[in-house]
Amino acid sequence: MWSKPWTLKEGFALGGGLIITGLVLQLSIGPVVWDAFVWPANGIVLACFLLLNILIYACRKLFYDFRFISTYQAAIPTLVYAVALTILMGIIRQTVNGSWLTNMLSFWPFVLIYVYMTIILGQIILRHLLHFQWRRDIPFLLNHLGLFIALTTATLGNADMQRLKMYTMTDTTEWRALNDNGEVVELPVAIELKEFIMETYDDGTPKRFASDIEIYTIEGEQMRTTVDVNKPAEVNGWTIYQYGYDSSMGAESNISILELVSDPWLPAVYTGIYMMLAGALTLFILGVRRKQA
Amino acid sequence: MIWDYFIIFALAAVLCWCYGAYAAWKDKANNAYVSTSLGLLIFFAFILTIWIVMERPPLRTMGETRLWYSFFLPLAGLIVYSRWKYKWILSFSTLLSIVFICVNLFKPEIHNKTLMPALQSPWFAPHVIVYMFAYALLGAATVLAFYLMFFKKQEIEVKEMVICDNLVYVGLAFMTFGMLFGALWAKEAWGHYWAWDPKETWAAITWFAYLVYIHYRIYRPKDYGLALAMLLVAFVLLQMCWWGINYLPSAQGSSVHTYSV
Repeated sequence: MWSKPWTLKEGFALGGGLIITGLVLQLSIGPVVWDAFVWPANGIVLACFLLLNILIYACRKLFYDFRFISTYQAAIPTLVYAVALTILMGIIRQTVNGSWLTNMLSFWPFVLIYVYMTIILGQIILRHLLHFQWRRDIPFLLNHLGLFIALTTATLGNADMQRLKMYTMTDTTEWRALNDNGEVVELPVAIELKEFIMETYDDGTPKRFASDIEIYTIEGEQMRTTVDVNKPAEVNGWTIYQYGYDSSMGAESNISILELVSDPWLPAVYTGIYMMLAGALTLFILGVRRKQA
Repeated sequence: MIWDYFIIFALAAVLCWCYGAYAAWKDKANNAYVSTSLGLLIFFAFILTIWIVMERPPLRTMGETRLWYSFFLPLAGLIVYSRWKYKWILSFSTLLSIVFICVNLFKPEIHNKTLMPALQSPWFAPHVIVYMFAYALLGAATVLAFYLMFFKKQEIEVKEMVICDNLVYVGLAFMTFGMLFGALWAKEAWGHYWAWDPKETWAAITWFAYLVYIHYRIYRPKDYGLALAMLLVAFVLLQMCWWGINYLPSAQGSSVHTYSV
């Protein structure tokens, strides 16, 4: 082992080292505190992360380890670790207040493996960008850069996402909503519930529930719309979803629960997702290209 | 009830597929195309009929997704056959399809008209159909891997591995479509594109597992054994994602993906 060139063995050893590092971190400083990444911290972290990627790439001539990061021998073990840790996450019930394996998203080994995977992505993306060839690299970049963008922005942007529950009553106007911690948040938009709409199938199961609402913005605008499940409404960067109703009253409910979501990073995440969709299309059309060897 | 007619349509389709598979063995390619396509047409006619009768796409229950799977397997087989002329592929796809048809005959599950509001979306059909097609292709890759690993006496040929690769590439492409359509839909329906719901977690696991195969094939193109073993493992993980989580204690009550009632 450790005689160059490194193979999968060294790749697995490095990933294992990362997991041990993660365990030590988990023991010493506790779980990853994602809530700390609110703007501008997440913007700064993203900038540093991109810079780190460029730095590692710039120094690849100096250190063998840095060159190694962009190899299959590094990527494959990392993917295997990601699969294994995510399987643990899939088998063990996850809870918001969980720790270690019951809250994988803030479990250091899990986070470090995904970060390492993203760095590997960053390194090969830089290599392909600097040795760009159209036919080879457009599909490559759509898949890899798309995933890189989606992973980084979805993870770092998560702390800026607000999901609020608003309890509206017929003919009253509401501008306050509750966040996940049960705290009241005042909003720049107010909503008046005109009517709660409920339709059921013959057997009584819900067919449709929706809210006919009037929206008022702090700028003095006003609009009437209907929010259905699967058909949210947009206003001033907030997306309004039909979330629930007074189920004890059923169709007679005069309470409608709306969810208001604001996710400023969404366009960036969607850029990544659309790139990956286009990348999958190229994968489908081009299929396998055998290595010239 | 329309479901009672399933056996007639299924029998007609299976007969067509069996003849198609036989014709492929006998090197009568045209007969194989026509017969397999006819079978697909008959089977799809049934899917279309229940779609119309139920006034919703038949994609909600496990039984309904099996219906699509039984349809897509021979379709995937036909595509592979037309591209690489493998005599045995239609037999395999037909056999697998028969298994799923039998499951549906003996355990039809509930098929009623109700479709809860969360599933009433233009994303519903593409999300599930694309996934079922991906599963069919990856199922075909698994069957091929199984055959190459345990039944083939001679040495594995390069072109056989290339078929595996192609099936996985196209299967993964469709799986990516399915997963990301799901993300875009989740944003519309639940307010977030990815919430690590057990179904999503297992979708990610499956997706990464096939990425391991793809990257390993490029890294060690001549090590067939380990690559084929990866395909088998990946398909087991795919089963967890598809129906296994319905039985997984950790996913009980916490998944928003359970609609089969």
